[in-house]
Amino acid sequence: MYQYDVIDREFLTDRSNEFRHQVARRLAGDLTEDQFKPLRLMNGLYLQLHAYMLRVAIPYGALNSRQARRLAWVARTYDKNYGHMTTRQNIQFNWIKLRDAPDILDALAEVDLHAIQTSGNCIRNTTADPYAGATAEEVDDPRVWSEVIRQWSTLHPEFSFLPRKFKIAITGALTDRAAVKVHDIGLILRKGRDGEIGFEVIVGGGQGRTPYVGPTIKSYLPADRLLSYIEAVLRVYNRHGRRDNIYKARIKILVAALGAEEFGRQVEEEWGKISAERADLPPAELARIRAAFAQTNFETLPAVSESFEAARAASPALQRFVRNNVKPHKQPGYAIVEVSLKAIGQTPGDATAEQLDVIADLAERYSLDDLRVTHAQNLVLPHVKLDDLAAVHAALDAAQLATANIDLASDIIACPGLDYCALANARAIPIAQDIAKKFADPDRAEKVGELKIKISGCINACGHHHVAHIGILGVDKKGEEFYQLSLGGSGAEDASIGKILGPGLSADKVAPAIDSLVDRYLSIRTGEERFLDTYRRVGLEPFKEAVYAQAD
Amino acid sequence: MPKLIKLVGAPSDTSFGADWAEDVFIHVADEDPIPEGDVILSLARFQAEGEILLSNSRRVGVRIEPDQEVEALAYDLPRLSVVALAFPKYRDGRAYTSARLLRERLGFTGEIRAVGDVLQEQAGFMVRCGFDAFEPNDDATPEAWVKAAHRFRHVYQRAADNRQVAFEERAV
Amino acid sequence: MKAVTANRLIDGEVVFWKAGAWVDGFGDAELFDEGQDADVEAAVAKGKAQPTVIVDPYPIDLVTVEGEGLAPVSYRERIRALGPSNEPTHGKQAVGGEVIEALRHAHGAARSTGRVDLIRRK
Repeated sequence: MYQYDVIDREFLTDRSNEFRHQVARRLAGDLTEDQFKPLRLMNGLYLQLHAYMLRVAIPYGALNSRQARRLAWVARTYDKNYGHMTTRQNIQFNWIKLRDAPDILDALAEVDLHAIQTSGNCIRNTTADPYAGATAEEVDDPRVWSEVIRQWSTLHPEFSFLPRKFKIAITGALTDRAAVKVHDIGLILRKGRDGEIGFEVIVGGGQGRTPYVGPTIKSYLPADRLLSYIEAVLRVYNRHGRRDNIYKARIKILVAALGAEEFGRQVEEEWGKISAERADLPPAELARIRAAFAQTNFETLPAVSESFEAARAASPALQRFVRNNVKPHKQPGYAIVEVSLKAIGQTPGDATAEQLDVIADLAERYSLDDLRVTHAQNLVLPHVKLDDLAAVHAALDAAQLATANIDLASDIIACPGLDYCALANARAIPIAQDIAKKFADPDRAEKVGELKIKISGCINACGHHHVAHIGILGVDKKGEEFYQLSLGGSGAEDASIGKILGPGLSADKVAPAIDSLVDRYLSIRTGEERFLDTYRRVGLEPFKEAVYAQAD
Repeated sequence: MPKLIKLVGAPSDTSFGADWAEDVFIHVADEDPIPEGDVILSLARFQAEGEILLSNSRRVGVRIEPDQEVEALAYDLPRLSVVALAFPKYRDGRAYTSARLLRERLGFTGEIRAVGDVLQEQAGFMVRCGFDAFEPNDDATPEAWVKAAHRFRHVYQRAADNRQVAFEERAV
Repeated sequence: MKAVTANRLIDGEVVFWKAGAWVDGFGDAELFDEGQDADVEAAVAKGKAQPTVIVDPYPIDLVTVEGEGLAPVSYRERIRALGPSNEPTHGKQAVGGEVIEALRHAHGAARSTGRVDLIRRK
C-alpha cells in the first residue's frame, strides 16, 4: 500500500487548516453560501435532506486496518454509528454537522485519510479494480497509476473549476470490475507490442441524463506519457466543455458533439504542445510509487489447503460462501474474499461501526492489513490464505457480514435516494430491500445466478442503473414515487446501456415485477446463460410481456 | 478605479508577498472613446485599433473573455503590458488555462491580471497559474491574498509558478 | 396552507419558520393561510437575510390528513419532516407522537410541490 510521507501528511494538515478557515469565514458571514459551496464540496461536504453528508475519499478503494478503525470511530463519534460505501469506492457519513467537519478532517488526516475532491467540478477519486494486486488477470497494478493520478490531480490549479465533475477509472485486467467504459476517462492497462506497459484510453463514457459507453480515443498510450495525455484531455475539456447548462456540461457531451475522431485529434494536437519532460512523471517517482504497491510478504504455500478442504467439506454454509464470495488469487494458497454489505433487508452498502471494526481486525490479521471497497458497495479482503478462510468466514458470519450473495439478485446497488439525498426524486433503499427479500432464499438466488440489479433515486444515476442487468430509476410522477425499469445494461468489459422496459411502476409493483422478470428468464434460459445473456439473445419483448401483459 | 493587488517577488519563491498597487490602466468599454494614458481593451478592439496605440508608445493591455483563445495574442505579447483574464463567475475556470498558456507556452512576461469575480479563496490557484495581479471582488487585502496563496507547503504538479514539486523535494 | 422551511447552517438540520425564529419540529411551524402569500414571501425574505443562520429558505404546501393533522403535500417534504424511512429511530421521527404519526400517514398527495427544481445543481 502507498505510505504517506512527510510531504503527503503536511499536505493533509494544510488542507484541513484551509477548510477550518473557510468554515470560520462562512459562519462569520464573510463568505456567501454561493461562494462557500464549491469549497465545502471540494472537501466532500454536501448539504443533504436531513444533515450534511461527508464523503471521505478511499483512493482506489484501498484501506488499511488503522484507517478502517478511524472510519468506525468517526461513525460512532460524529454520526449515527454507520457509514455507507459508494459506487466510487468512497465512504459516506449521512449525519454530519458543519461545525464538526474541520475536526473530522483533522482526525482523518491523522491516519492519512481525507475528503479532498470527493465532490465539486474537479477531478474526483480515481477508482480502480478492487482486486488489484491480487488477481492473476492484470497486466499491471492499476493502483500504481491511480496513485499517480491522485497526486497529480490534487489541488491541480488549472483544473479545479471544470465545467463539471470529472471521474477516472482504471482496470489492469480485461475483466472490468471498475466500470471504466462509463467514466469520463477510462483506462485499460495493456501490454504494447514491445512488451511495455500502456493504456487504452476511453474518453466520454458516462451515465446520468445522457448515458454513453465511451469511445476509445487512443488505442495505445505508452504508460510513461499518462499524465501529459490526461492533461491534454482535461485542457481541451476545460476550454471547450459547455458551461451554459449543467445537464450538458460533462465531457461526454463534448466528445459526442465533436465526434470521437475530432475530439481525439484535438487532444493529440494539444498533447503535441506539452513538454513530456515538464508534464510526465519522472521515472524515479514512478518507481517509488510502484515499489509501495509491490507485495513482497506472501508466504509460499501449496495451492491446496488441507485444512480448508476439510472445513469446506463439513460446512454447506462455507461451501456456499466460497461458491459466491471467494475468488481465485494469483498467489498459490491465497484467495480473494468479497464481504457482502447486502444482508437481506438491510440498507445496501451500509456497515455499522462495529462491523467496520470487525473487518479492520480481519484485514489486519488475515489479509496483510489490506481492505478494499468495490463500486458495487461491498468490501474485499484481497489476500486471505486458504488456511484461514474458515476462520474468516466464521468471524464475518458472527458480524452479519457473510451473506453469500455476491453478484446475485440480492447484491443490489442502491443509491441513498430520497431517504437522504437532496437531489433524489424517489426512494431507492426500500425498493432494494423489497427486492432482496424476494431472493432471501439462497438456493433460489443461486439458481437464478448472476443478476446485477441497480437502483438510482434520480437521473443522476449514482446507483448506476443504466449499466444494470435490471436497472431501476426512481421518478416523481404526479407526486408519487414511480419506478422505470430497464434491461440489458452492463458496466463490465461488455459495457452496454440498458433499454427501458415500459411505463413506470408504482413502488409496490416493483418487487413483483422483478419476480416476473426472473421467472420468465428461468423459463426461457438455455445452458449456462446469465439473465443478461438471455436478454441479449431474446430481446425486450418476452420480458416486457412478463411484466405488463397482466391487467393492472 | 477598482482596487489592484500585485504580487511582490517571484511565485516560485514561497516567501513572495503582495501589496496594493496604483492601477494606472483604464478599462475601456468597446463603445467608449479611448482616453489618454494606459488602457486595457477588449480583444476585438485591440485587434482593430491596438496597432495605432502601441505605436504611440502607450502601454496597452488586452482583456480576454473565457471563450476567447489567448493564442490570438501570440504575436502581440512582446509589446503588451497587461493581459486581463476575465472571471465572469469565479466558478468559470477557463482563465486558469489561459493564464498557464500565456506564461508557459507563449512566454508572456508581462502582467497577467485576474478581473471579474475574483475571490481570495482562489488566490492559490491563480498564483500557481501565473496570475500576478488581481482586482479583488471581495474584501481581500494584500495580506489576506498572500496568506491564502501560501496555504500549502507542498504542491503535487508543475504549473506556471515553477514551484518545486513534491517529487522534486523527495528526490533531494 | 403553507409553511416555510430551510436547513440550519451549523448542522444541516431541517427547520421551519416560526415568528422570526427557526424551529426543529414540523408541528411547531408557523402556518400561513391561503390569503397570506405576502407573509410567506416576507418570511422567506427574512430567512434569506440570515445567511449565517439558515440556508435556502423556501415555502412548502400543506394538506390536511383526515382525522390527524397537517402534512406537507410533497413526499419529499414529508421525508424532510420525518427522517429516513429505512431507519425509524433516526431523525425527527424518533420522538414519535401525533405530529409524526400524521406525517407518516399522509400519502396519495395530488402533486409534489414547493420544490419542483430538485436537480438544480450537483
